[in-house]
Amino acid sequence: MEKRAVFSHKFLPYLLLAPQLAITIVFFYLPASQALRQSFFIEDAFGTTSNFVGLENYRYVFADPSYYKAIVTTAIFAAAVTICSLSFALLLAVMADREIKGATAYRTLLVWPYAVAPAIAGVLFIFLFQPSLGMLARGLTALGIDWNPLLDGKQALLLVIVAATWKQISYNFLFFLAGLQAIPKSLIEAAAIDGARPWRRFFTIIFPLLSPTTFFLVAVNIVYVFFDTFGIIDAVTGGGPAQATQTLVYKVYNDGRLGGDLGGSAAQSVILMLIVVALTSIQFRFVDRRVNY
Amino acid sequence: MADVQLAEVKKIYPGGFTAIHGVSFVVPDGGFCVLVGPSGCGKSTLLRMIAGLETITSGDIRIGERVVNQLEPTERDIAMVFQNYALYPHMSVYDNMAYGLRNLKTPKSEIESRVAEAAQILELDTALLSRKPRQLSGGQRQRVAMGRAIVRKPKVFLFDEPLSNLDAKLRVQMRIEIRRLQRRLQTTTIYVTHDQVEAMTLADMLVVLNAGRTEQIGAPLELYERPATLFVAGFLGSPPMNFLKGTLESPATVRLDDGTAIACEGAYAAVPRGARVVAGVRPERAIVRPLGEGLAKGLAKGLAMKVDLIEELGVGRLVHGQLAGAPMTVAIGPDQQLPASETIGISIPADAVHLFDAESRKRL
Repeated sequence: MEKRAVFSHKFLPYLLLAPQLAITIVFFYLPASQALRQSFFIEDAFGTTSNFVGLENYRYVFADPSYYKAIVTTAIFAAAVTICSLSFALLLAVMADREIKGATAYRTLLVWPYAVAPAIAGVLFIFLFQPSLGMLARGLTALGIDWNPLLDGKQALLLVIVAATWKQISYNFLFFLAGLQAIPKSLIEAAAIDGARPWRRFFTIIFPLLSPTTFFLVAVNIVYVFFDTFGIIDAVTGGGPAQATQTLVYKVYNDGRLGGDLGGSAAQSVILMLIVVALTSIQFRFVDRRVNY
Repeated sequence: MADVQLAEVKKIYPGGFTAIHGVSFVVPDGGFCVLVGPSGCGKSTLLRMIAGLETITSGDIRIGERVVNQLEPTERDIAMVFQNYALYPHMSVYDNMAYGLRNLKTPKSEIESRVAEAAQILELDTALLSRKPRQLSGGQRQRVAMGRAIVRKPKVFLFDEPLSNLDAKLRVQMRIEIRRLQRRLQTTTIYVTHDQVEAMTLADMLVVLNAGRTEQIGAPLELYERPATLFVAGFLGSPPMNFLKGTLESPATVRLDDGTAIACEGAYAAVPRGARVVAGVRPERAIVRPLGEGLAKGLAKGLAMKVDLIEELGVGRLVHGQLAGAPMTVAIGPDQQLPASETIGISIPADAVHLFDAESRKRL
């Protein structure tokens, strides 16, 4: 039976909720409403005057070809990072889930990258892949690959994808490992006795049973790519070359902070917020229906 | 259809712990073998070794003509019912049962007919086939787990304490059904349990295990009537056998430690006089009599038993107390009168006394 606490005091429940509500209001609702308000105004370069312009900022954003380019870049970036980091993390988790010697140390080591700040991860990747100095970059050049992410937009995008993936693998790994360990061993044994070989066991038993974890991680990873990769992009490419690695969130920063177009930038963040809200709610609705056993 | 042979099977874990010390037995084709013992005796390990879920350190396991030591569970043509059923939670009941057949690439029409047949044998309502395991009751899950085992028509069924998650009533019912099912299918079966009632009722052949060694192998009644060791004597039977310590005074008399003598019957001529022995008496074989009456009727002399508790079972009563300084339980019928006194007379027929060597704990 579910236990329910009954408060006789009228205000106590509100009091208990207050800290959480205060944090949400200060760090989410206030900035979000500020952004929403600002998206209807145009400010001059010095921020001294602001004029109400209605939906003009939005019209401007949607008429800007570079905005569509950023959408495409973000979509590619999000898909690539999510798929790669989830697959690698799952592979590592499956390996770590086996009973091997030193499994604890192995697992701990795999978790470390998560403790590295995104900007620092970005700097690490610069050290590795900077065309003239980077260790791995020299290796690539030695292999005859014309490696120069400073000039080649595709290579630059690839580089931030790799960096963002590397950063996120640990997080996904932790959840996958926990998910794998929650699957009763007897199910796998039953499947083995039922004549399923390892691959088949993985795809018919383990993977379906991991689906709640997988769906959760897809949602978390997409939000990660949309917002938290800012540090990596800023450190590695700064959105370049020629806006090749400019994602939506980076463009918000670029236009608003560097370009001084606060209204347009605000309009973009409102759109970005709506996209993420929509994606997340679709995912969780889908999760509720699909992952039910 | 196949027999199962174990020859000097050993299991030593990497840490050096020996779980199984060389066990050998043969389960004949179509036989029902029960591995029984207290928890930690290695019975589940042994079953898992037969299934291929644990490696074998040494010895041979044969299923039919094949030595299966190195074979994967997949290749052994066995089916196993797990204690927690291990039903695939994301699959319907139908898919759970069809899974093994699909892995064998059985044609769809045959899968359908085999699942339907299994459902019918197990009296599983066809409406249940589309449900998920979590929507079933404990008894239904148990049936599905058995259904999953029988659809494949394997050579051997392995059961790992399949009834321990059921309530007492359902356990008795499923026990009978498992026995009927096995008789009907005639599939060689190895069944692990710690419950001696389950073991006695199900087995054609009982293997009693203790600390990784076989104590005794044989038909249930044979083990009950002639337990080879003190362990088997104490393990089989509920309430368990009473043990009275003493010395063998003559081939027909045991002098208990408090000085009273009881008569015994058996080929004890070769046992040296004065040997330390343990006399085992089943609770249902001891007879309650007025003190001193036994001798007159040609039975062993009435012994004084101090009663401290009487359990009413409906079908009879269990009288618990002390006899010759040792705990003693006597089972009596529902109609039998019990003296109201605190001390009652007990007589023990000479043929009811099992004698064991106190040192080696083996039957004399």
